[in-house]
Amino acid sequence: MYYKFSGFTQKLAGSWASAAYNPQGLKPVASSEAPPIIFATPTKFASETTSYDYAGKNKVPELQKFFQKSDGLPVHLKHGLPDQMLYRTTMALTLGGTIYCLIALYMASQPKNK
Amino acid sequence: MTHQTHAYHMVNPSPWPLTGALSALLLTSGMIMWFHYNSMFLLMVGLISMLLTMYQWWRDIIREGTFQGHHTPVVQKGLRYGMVLFILSEVFFFIGFFWAFYHSSLAPTHELGGCWPPTGIHPLNPLEVPLLNTSILLASGVSITWAHHSLMEGNRKQMIQALTITILLGLYFTILQAMEYYESPFTISDGIYGSTFFVATGFHGLHVIIGSTFLIVCLLRQFYFHFTSTHHFGFEAAAWYWHFVDVVWLFLYVSIYWWGS
Repeated sequence: MYYKFSGFTQKLAGSWASAAYNPQGLKPVASSEAPPIIFATPTKFASETTSYDYAGKNKVPELQKFFQKSDGLPVHLKHGLPDQMLYRTTMALTLGGTIYCLIALYMASQPKNK
Repeated sequence: MTHQTHAYHMVNPSPWPLTGALSALLLTSGMIMWFHYNSMFLLMVGLISMLLTMYQWWRDIIREGTFQGHHTPVVQKGLRYGMVLFILSEVFFFIGFFWAFYHSSLAPTHELGGCWPPTGIHPLNPLEVPLLNTSILLASGVSITWAHHSLMEGNRKQMIQALTITILLGLYFTILQAMEYYESPFTISDGIYGSTFFVATGFHGLHVIIGSTFLIVCLLRQFYFHFTSTHHFGFEAAAWYWHFVDVVWLFLYVSIYWWGS
């Protein structure tokens, strides 16, 4: 007798051998093996090449390292100068626009020909 | 990073709610200035600052989720609830337009000739372009499911292909709707028929454009390796949204295009 975990009753339920090995359906979706242990200096295997693709290199690991630096910067300024410039442009535009808007609305509320 | 003994995301103070709120003020006041004084200056300032806010806010969420690892399972659960509630609010937004449509069409007034479609209105043939649009959106629902399963199985190439097909189908739908609008024999000012028709289908079209943009962002993120086979809520939210847009179209098609003609 084979068993599988039933997502509906949250209990073990009897099943066929194939379903017990691949409970999600046609193919096992998530790997059930434990991830490899990573030591302080990662060992490079010959098969472990960086994934290249027609879209280029996978830069996510580098970006993760970059954005997890503890430099005390908030997330919206963490990329340095480009972030600063975008942030300041947005702030200047909204605050300047708001002042202009309040003046324009005030003037619109005081028509000359009553 | 300081040590934290829980899985919740403690967000940094963010300027985007402030700039977003002020941009909304500028957009609405800008529209008043445009309608009243025929000046588009304030409207443009509002539009640009709103687009800048949206870009930077969502860019920060990608940084927090994909690069800083703040989207733990419990945080993802919160994001799921948020997206479900957002789509639910959108459902009620569309229920309002269907209410207006059925209110007007189920008991047509004397002014309309006591019939629906109103006297003098020649509606679009539901078996022509609208039926094609229905099949396009249904097909895009299939292709986005194909993309999702490819993503879950780690099939990068097919995920990109299927998502590209979905986006192209969405753009094709938008082009066909634009052509239908251009060639339609009635306008938004043609009484209650034109009003309900163009407001309901127009807001649906806007949602298709928003959904296509969401899917294009997902395609770019897939190109940049942001999604893994087990962690890709951004894509799932886009897929939910796309299915929602699809279902709204089915109701529009059956009610307004088919029964209403």
